[in-house]
Amino acid sequence: MGRTIYIFNSGRLRRKDNTLYFETEESKKPLPVENIESIYFFGEVDLNTKAVNFLAQNNITLHFFNYYGFYTGSFMPRDYLNSGFLLVKQVEHYLDLEKRMTIAREIVEAASDNILRNLNYYKNRGYRVESEISGIESLKQEIKRAKDPEELMAIEGNIRQYYYRAFPLITGYEMEKRVKRPPDNILNTLISFGNTVFYTTVLAQIYHTQLNPTISYLHEPGQRRFSLALDLSEIFKPIIVDRVIFTVLNRNIITEDDFEIEEGYCFLKEKGKKAFLQEYEEKLRSTIEHRNLKRHVSYQNLIKLEAYRLIKYLIGDENYRGFRAWW
Amino acid sequence: MYVIIVYDIGEKRVAKACKFLRKYLNWVQNSVFEGNLTESQFEKVKYGLKKLICEEEDAVLYYVFSTPKWVERGILGKEKNPISDFL
Repeated sequence: MGRTIYIFNSGRLRRKDNTLYFETEESKKPLPVENIESIYFFGEVDLNTKAVNFLAQNNITLHFFNYYGFYTGSFMPRDYLNSGFLLVKQVEHYLDLEKRMTIAREIVEAASDNILRNLNYYKNRGYRVESEISGIESLKQEIKRAKDPEELMAIEGNIRQYYYRAFPLITGYEMEKRVKRPPDNILNTLISFGNTVFYTTVLAQIYHTQLNPTISYLHEPGQRRFSLALDLSEIFKPIIVDRVIFTVLNRNIITEDDFEIEEGYCFLKEKGKKAFLQEYEEKLRSTIEHRNLKRHVSYQNLIKLEAYRLIKYLIGDENYRGFRAWW
Repeated sequence: MYVIIVYDIGEKRVAKACKFLRKYLNWVQNSVFEGNLTESQFEKVKYGLKKLICEEEDAVLYYVFSTPKWVERGILGKEKNPISDFL
């Protein structure tokens, strides 16, 4: 599994001796290019076309974020795993409403099962989240009845509403409701930041498969965005991002001091971002013993495996069953 | 796998070896590299080094760990080049 580099400092990223160097005023640090999978830019970094060409040659994806930690965009090198056959299949499953709904329903079901897994964990530790759990369980019944993706999205939204209501109970921080663009309090900020970073992680994983990231099933494939990454991230958000959020808050890795709050805006400071990403990286790298594969698989690889599973379904090899945490 | 490579290479070739290894591993201090590699990357490293060195004079040692978890890594004095994903 390749490494992810997060750059917060200002400096220059350049190609030298057929590898990468990150140069700041004080130091030059060589980075082993063969081991890097993606680079996240949070600081002010210069890089020239020579460097970008070199990064593209090595299939490294670049993700850019602005000063406030909001997502700017990604640079995905030329597709290196093309498959016209799979693209046709992907489109076919999108155009046929029944086929599309099979996938979309499975995504929402898997996502809500993973949400329930989180909540049950906290219920067993004495947190009072019973009403949220029963609310989600009754909403889950409606997934099967949904006729189109729009209805599904609505149910999914309602499930999340219940779910987010449990966040203040678990972490002790306040959150009246989910607010984005910009987030208004600590929990909302962490959810937003975590989700954006995660979205790029999923995108990078899809990039390493033959799937086309613009054709999606639950989300409407819009223009100018990679909506398949949104689809797949639904399933994993609860077991990766949300668990990291609970960890950093409950263990006081991130506290109120790590935020800047002014007039309804709430931003993570650099120290907070680093602390969050550190925990997030560890999560992605930690492994579980996979039941079917009988070997250890990292959380990051689980995402890629999910993409493979979707491929298998699209080409008619296997039924699609979204990933569910069993631990 | 986690690999540590240490080398003792003649002055003429040492810079070449260093540049080559920087593509794959983290430079820790003079003539020491370490990092995660896949099996195939490890073969590439070994092959590349073999071509580069003079087998009569130079020596490259490698230590392979299936996981870095079971190794205790310590340091005395100043760490020259800490390995970190955050820059």
